[in-house]
Amino acid sequence: MSEVITRKNLQDLVNAWISRGNTAAGPVFVKPDVCMYEKLSSGERLALDSFVHPTNSIKEFYFPRHEKIYTYRFKGQKLELDDCEPARTPQLILGARPCDAAAIAILDRVFNWDYKDKFFNLRREATTIVTLGCAEYDDNCFCTSVGLGPTAEKGSDAILLPLNDGEFEVRCLTDKGKALFAGKTQTSSQEAKPLSGPENRVDIELIVAQLEKNFEDPAWREIALRCLGCGACAYTCPTCHCFDIVDEGNAAGGARVKNWDSCQFPMFTMHASGHNPRSTQGQRQRQRIQHKFRIYREKFGETLCTGCGNCTRNCPVELGVLNTLLSLREHALRSSSEVRG
Amino acid sequence: MIEQLRQTCRRLLEEAKVNVIIGYGQSSADGPAFPIFITKPEQVDKLVWNDKCYANLTTYLTRNDVKALGKPAIIVKGCDERALVVLQQESQINREALYVIGVACDGVGNPRAAKCLVCDVHRPRFADEVVGDTAATDAGGGRYLELGEFLKKSPAERMTYWMEELSRCVKCYACREVCPLCYCNRCIVDKNRPTVIDTSATLKGNLAWQIVRAFHLAGRCVSCGECVRACPAGINLALLNLTLARAAEEHFQYRAGIDPQKTPIIGSYSLEDKEEFIL
Repeated sequence: MSEVITRKNLQDLVNAWISRGNTAAGPVFVKPDVCMYEKLSSGERLALDSFVHPTNSIKEFYFPRHEKIYTYRFKGQKLELDDCEPARTPQLILGARPCDAAAIAILDRVFNWDYKDKFFNLRREATTIVTLGCAEYDDNCFCTSVGLGPTAEKGSDAILLPLNDGEFEVRCLTDKGKALFAGKTQTSSQEAKPLSGPENRVDIELIVAQLEKNFEDPAWREIALRCLGCGACAYTCPTCHCFDIVDEGNAAGGARVKNWDSCQFPMFTMHASGHNPRSTQGQRQRQRIQHKFRIYREKFGETLCTGCGNCTRNCPVELGVLNTLLSLREHALRSSSEVRG
Repeated sequence: MIEQLRQTCRRLLEEAKVNVIIGYGQSSADGPAFPIFITKPEQVDKLVWNDKCYANLTTYLTRNDVKALGKPAIIVKGCDERALVVLQQESQINREALYVIGVACDGVGNPRAAKCLVCDVHRPRFADEVVGDTAATDAGGGRYLELGEFLKKSPAERMTYWMEELSRCVKCYACREVCPLCYCNRCIVDKNRPTVIDTSATLKGNLAWQIVRAFHLAGRCVSCGECVRACPAGINLALLNLTLARAAEEHFQYRAGIDPQKTPIIGSYSLEDKEEFIL
């Protein structure tokens, strides 16, 4: 037996949620061929099929691209500061992919490490996340290689599994999930068929070992040669979480803000002296992969990648994590066969 | 055709005429094409040419990591070659120290990319050699049709359109990085002493950034469409660039990257310059 909800009832659920003054977000077709996670103005806008992965991630709703930390005003010789309070409005994210929900659970670690990030945590508390199991995948998906899959439950409050006739099986995983769907589902004898994910594409343990023992791998120069150094990979990645802190204002006052940043930009590590410790794109690509598969793991015991494939999907030159890992393995095999000669 | 291309590249490397070939590769026959850098004659079989070869490779010519490889040969489509013309006019490349292999092009994408439907440069015109042939003919004249349709909207409707589109911009700068003519060592948005353009990806900051970029490309953008292809948010940035390209063509009879002998409009001044388009 299972609990089932129709598409119409899901839309109504979103509309009722919004009408209570809450906010909701989910996949939306912003153009006929572009699906993105967006704030929902109504449940009817929600896309529940015909896409593999939105071009962005749900991190935006926990860790916005731009956020005021405090404001300041100059009053003569004095400076006045005002804290900015993060929104505590209850938020529903419906239709997130499992790889996106898992990322939020992974980010919990870094945002509650030596400093507890109030902004992230308050939003996390105020958010209910309902994932949508994946009926399809593409060549960029590699969730199964990082221990996840099309119905992974990590980070989700409830998961929807597509049934044949536009209905969804609902599996509530937490109290938040149960509260959201209480009285909204029907008990049914239908059960969702198991969903298949992409085949295992790369052995992460071999990658980790390679990253550990070969920091100065000459492969990086070659792999990164085509990298253009934009932030499309990092900004659409559900787990990349670097930010810059800047002051924006004028002589009267302004705000100190947190803005997304990416290790792929030369400016990311540029010193005031003009020296840049990561002066080549190879060093910057190495940093991104080392952080995801070795450094974060050493610190927090988790891999900073959920295999969503957005980095490749959005890369103008077909790089991204999966292709980079495959190239790294190819280089390792080539050089070991050269040694054996 | 691909054999001819590979042979040319093999010969150039064997005779040490160049140190690196900047071309297209593919991981599998039905997979996407991407830029590759070939430095040894035995690697030329990795080169491919087909309608998946979207990237405008000329953007690599001004990059230090690529310059370090030595004298390049580059594979260009007719549209990409227009960027070469501008780069040369702006003294960013030394044409003598560059070997240009043109590929005759029927168009990229299936269905064809929007730029290909209005293309009038199917055959590269200034390449050291052109490989292949095409039956494609010049579309002629249609290049501002999409813009014309857009401009039929009222100013208020257009503003609403841009507000919605630009609200999705996260400032990943993929548009800037793929652009062969965005080659500034330090882009104005990266200047922070003082900050000129808000780094925030807010509507205000996004609008400022995209307008500055469009104006910096006025009379320079060659409509290769790479910014549109690269945008993860699906923003049709070409409409901004086309507006300025059309102004350049209407008022100054100038199209960027078409005639190398013509003085670039931004780099020249004449008392006869008309100013009626300035609001």
